[in-house]
Amino acid sequence: MLLKELRKHTKLAAKRHPMFEKNKFGKFYIYFMMLFWAGYFIFFGIIFGFGFADMFPTMEPYHIMNKGLFIILAIDFLFRFAFQKTPTQEIKPYLLLPIKKNKLLNILLLKSATNSYNAFWLFMIVPFAFITVTKYFGITGVITYSLGFYLLMILNNYWYQMCRTLINEKTYFVIIPIVFYGLLLTLELTLGNPVSKFTMEVGELFIKGNLLSFLGVLIGAAGLGWINRTIMIRNLYAELAKTNDTKIKHVSEYKFLEQYGEVGEYFRLELKLLFRNKRSKSMFRMGCFLIIMLTGMLFTPSYEGPLGKSFVGIYNFAILGILMLTQIMSFEGNYLDGLMSRKESIYNLLRAKYYFYSFAVIVPFILMIPVIIMGKITLLMAISYCFFTTGFIYFIIFQLAVYNNKTTPLNESLIGRQSTGTGFQSLISLMSFGVPMLVINLLRIAFGEIISQLIFLAIGLALTFTSNYWIKNIYKRFMKRRYKNMEGFRDSK
Amino acid sequence: MATIKINNLQKDFGEKRAVDIDNYVINNGDILGLVGNNGAGKTTFFRLILDLLQASNGAAFINDIDSSKSEEWKNFTGAFIDEGFLIDYLTPEEYFYFIGKMYGLKKEEVDERLTTFERFMNGEVIGQKKFIRNFSAGNKQKIGIISAMIHNPELLILDEPFNFLDPSSQSIIKHILKDYSQQTGATILISSHNLNHTTDICPRIALLEDGKIIRDIDNVDNSAEKELEAYFNVE
Repeated sequence: MLLKELRKHTKLAAKRHPMFEKNKFGKFYIYFMMLFWAGYFIFFGIIFGFGFADMFPTMEPYHIMNKGLFIILAIDFLFRFAFQKTPTQEIKPYLLLPIKKNKLLNILLLKSATNSYNAFWLFMIVPFAFITVTKYFGITGVITYSLGFYLLMILNNYWYQMCRTLINEKTYFVIIPIVFYGLLLTLELTLGNPVSKFTMEVGELFIKGNLLSFLGVLIGAAGLGWINRTIMIRNLYAELAKTNDTKIKHVSEYKFLEQYGEVGEYFRLELKLLFRNKRSKSMFRMGCFLIIMLTGMLFTPSYEGPLGKSFVGIYNFAILGILMLTQIMSFEGNYLDGLMSRKESIYNLLRAKYYFYSFAVIVPFILMIPVIIMGKITLLMAISYCFFTTGFIYFIIFQLAVYNNKTTPLNESLIGRQSTGTGFQSLISLMSFGVPMLVINLLRIAFGEIISQLIFLAIGLALTFTSNYWIKNIYKRFMKRRYKNMEGFRDSK
Repeated sequence: MATIKINNLQKDFGEKRAVDIDNYVINNGDILGLVGNNGAGKTTFFRLILDLLQASNGAAFINDIDSSKSEEWKNFTGAFIDEGFLIDYLTPEEYFYFIGKMYGLKKEEVDERLTTFERFMNGEVIGQKKFIRNFSAGNKQKIGIISAMIHNPELLILDEPFNFLDPSSQSIIKHILKDYSQQTGATILISSHNLNHTTDICPRIALLEDGKIIRDIDNVDNSAEKELEAYFNVE
């Protein structure tokens, strides 16, 4: 009954959220993508069902699938980082009710296990099983195989929850899944494929309806669920007591910015915003990680062609801006009333943000120096992408400052709520990346490599040096819409 | 010097009219107390004056400047409505220096002005090496009030400043506000549910009901106390 109540509350929380109306586009997009991926999975199931039989005539297709179970689980684990959050039901309202804390947490964990996402891979497995398993094991085999697979997904769900909760707490916990999957890969490659042999056996036991195999998975899921609960209890007390960052050893003051007046003060504020709040810190770290990864990709042969180079080059310069600036003003929504009570502070804030993220493109530029020296990309290409980012791409993304009116929490917590982006933000992100790709490739076709990069550079320089004008324009438009924005920020706090 | 003129100011939320004030003048140097039951429209009224809400009709003028049409009034106004004003990932010192910088004050000037509030802070605010978000509600309230006053505004607006404060702090802030008014001649608007404090500080009290100012009381020798107690049925 409590599970039913909590589910009802979650649905009502989403439906009655002040941004529900504004996110209708987002909802439609999500449903569309769900249908798309479901269809895609069914397609894969059918293709694998017939394809494995042709590619591996000496083995049953389900053996091949079962050998790859760990790959599927690893892919699922990564997917969950994009789609699944840790149980962020607002626990606080329930804590003082006559419900045992452990029961509440158990219900939350049960809720995550019965999440429909855990059944998503069945769109692939069920058609696959119909094609490959019914031959020897009939419909019963399909049912038991699907059930076993579903239980594996629940196990994976708890494994993901545990890793995600720990990583949210401290980023260095990312070493746990890295070591785990690294170890499995090493064992698989060096000791005669023990991992895939094991999963092949487990899969076969599922098909045969072996009770011990189901029990084993259930025990594993229960164990991980228990670990999750222990971590959640510990975090819950820490959050209630707000002990997480009450003791700061060193307060960074960034004194060198004092000489730059009000804009310098907002530049300093931006630095503090980034490094003192969980949400912005995680996003910033992700951006830096992606920049390093993307630079590394330039060393690989896969990105030697002009298309690959421009993809990685543009993305490398733009990614931090796209990640952070699509939320422009949304973090400030937490204290916008205070900012609005001071003259032109929003204008100086926007200028400071622009300078900050313009300086930030130095990082990918420096990381690209070895790639430039090795001749993989030219200096002209790097400079043109750099200024195109600070010019055109930021010009596009900064427009969101006028329209963003949903507060993004600064510090996500186990007992807090989370927010998702709007459809308009997704569109701007796509445009910020897609339009430059389109432009550079069209220019390349029309004018060749060097002229296209010079044109790219010219566009970037023009918008960079006129930034004060378009930022002022954005500020004026923001002020015209200020009441609507302030209302939106207040409602979504 | 700050005078506020209200001109047919109305604010509707759907069917409900939250503020409906025809013509009202708050003179330069007034200390006006705004009282009323929950939902009377006190906070909405302040938000309209500070251009944090769009009026459905009418306007509020600060020194003849329409607060919704110009930002010039912000140079001499200080306000604290609620926690939403605070940048909670700063330490109190950082926040005070930040606010000071916005009004052209150097660090030394801010430090000097903070000495006025030493008793009020009671050793619990400065030097704690804590972000504002980790302070208690009472100390956050203190930080908000101080940040509104640090630049010696000519117009000071505080929404329920006594909330969350312990009795000593309530008494101290009353003295600070009275002294501030005497020293600077600033116009002060405060709202409160505490009738005793309001009648102690405010020579003029406006009683708000359903968004309208139903009584504008001249509080000579605390004479407003009986009238307010009768209205609120306080025995």
